[in-house]
Amino acid sequence: MILNPGIIALLLASFLIVAFAGYAAFTGFRIIRCWDMRSGSPTQLSLERKTYLVSSIFAYVSAFQLLSLFMFIYTADHIHTLFVGAMCAAGSLNANANGYPTLVLKGLNFFLCGVWLLVNYTDNRAEDYPLIKFKYKFLILISGLLFVEAFFQFRYFIGLKADIITSCCGALFSEETETVAGQMASLPPRATQMIFFLALALTIRVGIYFLVTGRGSRLFAGLATGSLIISVASVVSFISVYFYELPTHHCPFCVLQKDYHYIGYALYLSLLPAGIFGTSVGVLQRFSAQASLKRIVPGLQKRLCILSMSAYLAFMMISLYPMIFSDFVLESHLLAPDTSPWAIYQDVRA
Amino acid sequence: MIELSHITKTFNMGKANAFTALSGIDLRIDLGRMTVFKGPSGSGKTTLLSIIGCMSRPTSGRIRLDSRETTSLPERFAARIRRDTFGFIFQNYNLIRGISALENIMIPAYPTGRKHAAVKRRAQGLLRRLNMESKADERVETLSGGEQQRVAISRALINDPSIIIADEPTAHLDTDLSRQFMDIMIDLKDEGKTILIASHDPLVSGYGGVDRGVGLRDGEIVEERQRQ
Repeated sequence: MILNPGIIALLLASFLIVAFAGYAAFTGFRIIRCWDMRSGSPTQLSLERKTYLVSSIFAYVSAFQLLSLFMFIYTADHIHTLFVGAMCAAGSLNANANGYPTLVLKGLNFFLCGVWLLVNYTDNRAEDYPLIKFKYKFLILISGLLFVEAFFQFRYFIGLKADIITSCCGALFSEETETVAGQMASLPPRATQMIFFLALALTIRVGIYFLVTGRGSRLFAGLATGSLIISVASVVSFISVYFYELPTHHCPFCVLQKDYHYIGYALYLSLLPAGIFGTSVGVLQRFSAQASLKRIVPGLQKRLCILSMSAYLAFMMISLYPMIFSDFVLESHLLAPDTSPWAIYQDVRA
Repeated sequence: MIELSHITKTFNMGKANAFTALSGIDLRIDLGRMTVFKGPSGSGKTTLLSIIGCMSRPTSGRIRLDSRETTSLPERFAARIRRDTFGFIFQNYNLIRGISALENIMIPAYPTGRKHAAVKRRAQGLLRRLNMESKADERVETLSGGEQQRVAISRALINDPSIIIADEPTAHLDTDLSRQFMDIMIDLKDEGKTILIASHDPLVSGYGGVDRGVGLRDGEIVEERQRQ
């Protein structure tokens, strides 16, 4: 294990999160089993008092979980200098088999915690706990995933050794690599661009339709979720390439570095909330018919829709900026021979 | 109608020093009337009023206020009911020292978001009604006991609540001031407000305008007297 302040902080935080989430899940089990609003029993009244405490605790856990993703990536990026071959977080995460699973789990938990926070927010707007059972079933699912994430993160950090030889992002996100990352990198740029802009345009169009008519919330949510996945693939496929001005460099992590003005944080901090807000519009639709939420959910959905569309627009603007204002033209490189340092290195090696 | 079903309150539950202050209270209180809870110290009067007023929660049982269940309410909703529906007059008045009578009266209105000028006008009106207009700008610690209680009454009325809860209101008052207090309560009842008073003072429970007396002892109802 490498003693780095970021690693120690992440490990300690994950222990605390797992402990709190475990307590919250235990109370959640009791609530799912024993909750009965018609009863005035000591158990019911005790659960009513506890749910306030537990949901508050879990809201903080979720909020930290949102930060934890970026802290994890930042730490992985920060320690890349310790590993032979690593150029950014991509190499650090590849230092053992648990790095990328941890990242994927953190991303998934980021998304789920974001949606849970919005479900919790909605539940707290009504006075009769309308989402209580759904909220706690969801909480138990997230708690399980947080535990798995903590396990992988622990294994990842424990397994880090300073003398490990790893790969750089150029190799990991190369079009020749037969991994998910490699497949994303080798997506045809022009087709991916079309799908990306079409997906965002459709999401915003359906969002406007929902705002005007109040219909199509599920379609909007589906498109927003789909756009999130397409956008992540697009970052690897062509958006990052424009920032690097290197047609073969597809790394989604180097954009988080100072050399690129930390633009990656702006990219991801607009993209991930856009997906969470958009998905939540559909999740809340499930509960819009409940008596105590009838007046609350439609307004909330509209606010979330606006937030999601705004975040997607911000993401699109950031992505478009280098496409419009830099001298780099990806299409010309697609036709011309690849003269990037990585390609030259590969040729020399061959 | 305020409806209490099987209300029990146990402090320090599960511990060696557990104490049951209320035990299975079932009670219906009509709105717009004056009810006095009487009983010796430790009989559960204050605990009962604090539970009715959403200031604390029972260990078991439910309370319905005009068919609305109040014991299960999340804190933010309970706070809203406390603020809008109930006006509290405490035994020791609980006024904030160092600020004026007028400012004390206005404090419960701040979370409602009403305009400052409107709140001030209402506070001045309440002071005028209780013949305390000249004391508006005086610091509360300089006022006499009777005057402090009038400030407390005005504060309880600032949000125009429908239910007034008074806990041992005459404990620090002489007979004349106690009568004056009860007369104010009768006036408020005549305006349609519900008055709930906890007191072991016979002057209060025997006063002319009281509609109902509920006797408590050891956390249980031992006596009920309805005045026709």
